[in-house]
Amino acid sequence: MAIDNKSDHPHQKCADEAELLAWLSRLVIASSSADEALQKILDNAVSSCGAVRGFLAIVDHDRGKLDIGYVSGEGWTEEKRLARLKASEETGRGITSLVASTGKPYRSGNVLSDPYYVPAFDDVRSEIAVPLVDAYKRVRGVINVESSEYDAFGDRHECLLRALADLAVISLTIADHRARESALVEIGMELNRFGDTDELLQRVIDVASEALRFEDCSLFLIDIATDKLVLRASRGPLAKKIGEATYELGEGLTGWTAKHGVPVRVSDPPSDPRWRGRFEEIPADEAGAYMAVPIKIHRGVIGVIRVQRRKSPYKWLPNDFTDDDERMLSTIASQLGIALDNRRLVDQLVKAERMAAWGEMSARSAHMIGNRVFAIKGDINELEYLLKEQKIDPDKALEIMESIKRGIFLLEEVLNEFREFVKATQLELEEADLNELVKQAVEEGFPKRSPTKLTLNLASGLPKIKADPKKLKRCFTEIIENAINFQPEGGEIKISTSLADARSKKWLKPSQQTGDYVQVRFEDTGPGIDLDKKPKIFNPFYSTRAKGMGLGLSIVKGIVEAHNGTIFENGIPGKGARFTILLPYNKERLSKRARDVAPQQT
Amino acid sequence: MCRILVIDDEEGVRNAVKRRLERDGYTVDTAESQAEGLELIRSQSPPYDLVITDMVMESPTSGLEILQAALSADVFSEVIVLTAYGSVGNAVECMKRGAFDYVEKNIPGVDVFELLSMKVRQALERRRASVATIRKIEQYQTSDR
Repeated sequence: MAIDNKSDHPHQKCADEAELLAWLSRLVIASSSADEALQKILDNAVSSCGAVRGFLAIVDHDRGKLDIGYVSGEGWTEEKRLARLKASEETGRGITSLVASTGKPYRSGNVLSDPYYVPAFDDVRSEIAVPLVDAYKRVRGVINVESSEYDAFGDRHECLLRALADLAVISLTIADHRARESALVEIGMELNRFGDTDELLQRVIDVASEALRFEDCSLFLIDIATDKLVLRASRGPLAKKIGEATYELGEGLTGWTAKHGVPVRVSDPPSDPRWRGRFEEIPADEAGAYMAVPIKIHRGVIGVIRVQRRKSPYKWLPNDFTDDDERMLSTIASQLGIALDNRRLVDQLVKAERMAAWGEMSARSAHMIGNRVFAIKGDINELEYLLKEQKIDPDKALEIMESIKRGIFLLEEVLNEFREFVKATQLELEEADLNELVKQAVEEGFPKRSPTKLTLNLASGLPKIKADPKKLKRCFTEIIENAINFQPEGGEIKISTSLADARSKKWLKPSQQTGDYVQVRFEDTGPGIDLDKKPKIFNPFYSTRAKGMGLGLSIVKGIVEAHNGTIFENGIPGKGARFTILLPYNKERLSKRARDVAPQQT
Repeated sequence: MCRILVIDDEEGVRNAVKRRLERDGYTVDTAESQAEGLELIRSQSPPYDLVITDMVMESPTSGLEILQAALSADVFSEVIVLTAYGSVGNAVECMKRGAFDYVEKNIPGVDVFELLSMKVRQALERRRASVATIRKIEQYQTSDR
């Protein structure tokens, strides 16, 4: 580009500038980060104006400060960069601060006699500064270029710099939108993940404040028992008071938002009559812009998310929250509301199911234990009678003792089953190899001498899974034992492992189907399971055997589901049972590790 | 000699009851299900003097069905219902319909087998009394003619 002789050929210059703007526009659109585009914009501002140097200062609205983000031209050092604005910012009188506060360009043909000029470089004679003004008429930054000649900058330069400043604003706005979009996507994904609610709330706060540069952000939920707002997550100094800080509904700005269900936005909270300042992230004399939005669901407000900024140290630089900020925070709040409500319903359902299971369980176990205790008491009654009547002979006594022991063993079996049922969902996860687990289960659960023929068909190179090896092996042995018990005359058991095929994955819940799974299948040649019994076999207490309480397969199901997997049976009745267990593996994690390993191999 | 049928789906329960009642000198048969119990009751001649049945087997009302069958085989048959936790309601229903009594299998601190032995004795007493009364009425009626 012929920049050097541009002043001699006005038409040529126009063409060049048009070309420059076209090229930079494309760059702004195509850049994945604002940094690259902003640096290029500044470089071209300096070179196109024939300046010696320049900088692009960006307004940090969160902290209410102006920082030199990008520099170009001669003589810059890190020290200079940090010092350049310091003096002028403090007084609010430097050219950059003036432009930032007025939102208007400023030209100085002779800085040496300019009242606003604060010296930084010795060679500067003239300077031009142009603000970056966004759609809300907020100043987002200032482009500042300097020349060692007097009166170096004219209308044409100002015009060009304005265009470049607009491009810079577009670039910043695109970056903002990208950050907001990815924050919403990330929060959306977090909300779908199951896990601890408090952890989820903290994650949402972290993601929101990082993406939106809310330095101090807190989340309160209404406690149903006390009808008070309780701090549940916070970023900033209030994090120490999680679970302790509370507001009455209607108390303070936070309580007001909860009571009335509408957002609040104030620029100077202490001057607001509703303000109480009970739990603040920021000391009252430093408190600046404040925004709170309600978390609402169909039955009303369930909480409040609020963000706060420090008062800008410079009066000329307001840092209020914008409509965009409020819309964004409200969107997060409503997503969070739906997710929390959803969790509440799931919790209730799980609790109800668990209560029902416990009711059934206590009735069953009381029956089971009652009968066994009754039988043991019968043995003791007999023993007592024989002793009293002196009719006892040692063999008879031993026989009765044996019966008592058997009775107690049966009781312990019930207890054991109880424990396993309760513990089925408490996993100790570690990285495990499915094939290895199957081999160990066979080793432990398959009798050494058995009329049953065992065939293993294990796929090699299966991805590792996260599993509780003990519990998963327990599942496998239960199914193997069942298969053996149901074909006492001998028969065949086939165990195979593979990646889960599309047909198997149809048995997963819709929400699970996008994941990646390995599967292990157990097929036998026993009587199989009648069609009318198939829906019941995984129910607790459904048993066709006398042993235990019939919790076996329900425990297996509990364990598999705790692994986020599934189990199903689709054998043909009369020809044999066919159980398949699907277990998830993390493709992303594995492929990432594979990448880590790759360079070492080459 | 009195003949007793014990019906319970738990082998341990059947055996313990049978052994205790045999000690008292009764003849005891056992059945391990409602179905087998009904079968034995219907096929016996003379009928059992006493039937001891578990309340809950194939269904929560297994005891009631055994009672009905026993009474239709011989209206003077006595029935004692064994109940486990939670099935007392149905056992009371059995008594309303003519069962002699019910015995809870698990009463803390009580030797249920001695209790059962006593109830069996009383039930057979009542049966003997009822049968004797009927005999007398029959004799009276025949001598009257």
